[in-house]
Amino acid sequence: MLSLLLKSMRSRIIPTSLVTISLMASMVLLLSIERIQQGAEEGFNQSISGVDAIIGPRSSSLELVLYTVFHLGRPTNNITTKTIDDVKQRSDISWLVPIALGDSHRGYRVVATEPNYFKHIRYGNNQPLTFSKGVPFAELSEATLGSDVAEKLNYSVGSEIQITHGSIESLGSKHDDFSFKVTGVLNKTGTPIDQAVFLDLKGYELLHLGWKSGKKVFSLEDIDLSSLPPDALNPKTVTAAFVGLKSKLTIFNFSKNIREYPEEAISAIIPGIALSELWSIVGLVDKGFQLLSWIIIAISLIAMVTLIIASLDNRKQEMTIYRANGASPKFLAAMVIYESLLIGLVAIIGAIILVTAVTYFATNQLNLALGVSPSFKWISLNEIKVFSIILLSGVLSGLIPAAMVFRKNLHQALS
Amino acid sequence: MLQTLGLEYHYQHGKKIVFPEIEIDRGQRLLISGFSGCGKTTLLSLIAGALKLQVGDIKFDGQDYSSMSSLLLDRLRANHIGYIFQTLNLIPFLSVSENIGLGIRFSQSRKSRVGNLNQEINRLVDSLGLDKEVLNTPVNRLSVGQQQRVAAARALLGKPDLILADEPTSALDSDTTKKFLNEVMETFDASKQAIIMVSHDASIAPYFDSVIDFNKHYA
Repeated sequence: MLSLLLKSMRSRIIPTSLVTISLMASMVLLLSIERIQQGAEEGFNQSISGVDAIIGPRSSSLELVLYTVFHLGRPTNNITTKTIDDVKQRSDISWLVPIALGDSHRGYRVVATEPNYFKHIRYGNNQPLTFSKGVPFAELSEATLGSDVAEKLNYSVGSEIQITHGSIESLGSKHDDFSFKVTGVLNKTGTPIDQAVFLDLKGYELLHLGWKSGKKVFSLEDIDLSSLPPDALNPKTVTAAFVGLKSKLTIFNFSKNIREYPEEAISAIIPGIALSELWSIVGLVDKGFQLLSWIIIAISLIAMVTLIIASLDNRKQEMTIYRANGASPKFLAAMVIYESLLIGLVAIIGAIILVTAVTYFATNQLNLALGVSPSFKWISLNEIKVFSIILLSGVLSGLIPAAMVFRKNLHQALS
Repeated sequence: MLQTLGLEYHYQHGKKIVFPEIEIDRGQRLLISGFSGCGKTTLLSLIAGALKLQVGDIKFDGQDYSSMSSLLLDRLRANHIGYIFQTLNLIPFLSVSENIGLGIRFSQSRKSRVGNLNQEINRLVDSLGLDKEVLNTPVNRLSVGQQQRVAAARALLGKPDLILADEPTSALDSDTTKKFLNEVMETFDASKQAIIMVSHDASIAPYFDSVIDFNKHYA
């Protein structure tokens, strides 16, 4: 039967190929949407990695994750460095990186931190931050740039930049009495890190020496910086701190202890949980993707059923001859089912190979060009379910011309 | 072997045909002749079980068509009847030998009567005057006369009890018609088989034992 089927399909090579290619195109679209959707969710949930907890002033976990990870909004309170020092003394902590937020540079948020930020903070699937040019800042007058900042503003190692007080540039808001020299540019991560300017906490403190209640009181040019006492630039407060624990098993106990810290109202959040909560809120995008997927599935099904019925219509004469020679309904149904299965399988396997190859070989290019990182995998359980529905529909639709052969009078069909 | 009993057929457009009674046994050759549209092909289709009976009955080796489903009739046709269609009904993408082989592909009983399939196809092709070199040629590359012989070989393969031939010579000139009929009658096994052929050409009557002329029947 297989030999008869293959010969029959070869005799209709053009319509058969067109049906297969059309189906494959629908499957490619479906898989691409699915992979981009999953890639977006994975990318979002992996905006920060390697961090077990984020400590900040007591507020909602969403608020804390928004301004510490996504650099969105403004922290309402800071926490004192004394509190940070106390937390650092805890035996369950492996490392702690404080950050101070609030200022910006030409629309990009400034993150004041310590050089070990680049050692501990990771992104994606626990990938370390790497430099496309230069090295991390080491002095208080040095800065490190996220890849988008350097690319959009055309900065490189050696460029000098000035910081704006607050997030909006306005008259008199610029820290124009002190400049930072760029020492390094990070590689692209596809996370908010790409759009940040990193400074040393002490440099950040220095910028604000002459400021009180949001206004400049005196210029740094009017004072002798070398005469400042050694602890004058130690920050009094920071916005938050990223924490790595010695054992992840202690996270809930750590979080509880931080909440109960007696001297200041602080809290510790688990970034993974907070990011998932945030994704479920901004999940309208996700729902949009799902709706789009279902629309594509519906269109693919209609297209496939139409194409198979149309292409099999010219097989009616062939099947009628088989019947006239004594072929059973089972034989005719099997011929049609195998053909639909073969077309469906070739389309599905072709689409999987194509989409997987593109996601494997072109992920970096897609990320750089569009900021989209499709999820890389062969096939998911959900995709298997959808493909099974499509295959089954193809098989059932293929039975229509077979049934037509039996319904039609053999005498009329043969004469 | 085959007997028709009071067969009538009512067409959708209102025409009604009352067929003459037919009885045929193994070894007999019957020609049904008559003008175009007199119902010859309809009668053949009723005998082949390709058309549903309306009035009357057909008995084939004791089995009544009226009590058989269309699937059983398909089976009876596959096992006992070789049909040479007026429109040939060959599958264009299959070779000559594959088209001939279709005659027994779906019938175990006809398969069992063929020892070696290739030898039997060679024998039929030889006796029907076809060149053996065409066996692997796609059937749509043959002339109409050659295709007619392939259709005949398919109907004769596996020695079916009854051969039905519907105007098999309509597309052939008189010389080729004579040659074709000579070949078919030589291949026909008079000890086991019977043949009913319909044709509007009364000149081929000498090849047959009996003739039913529909023109006279309706006169």
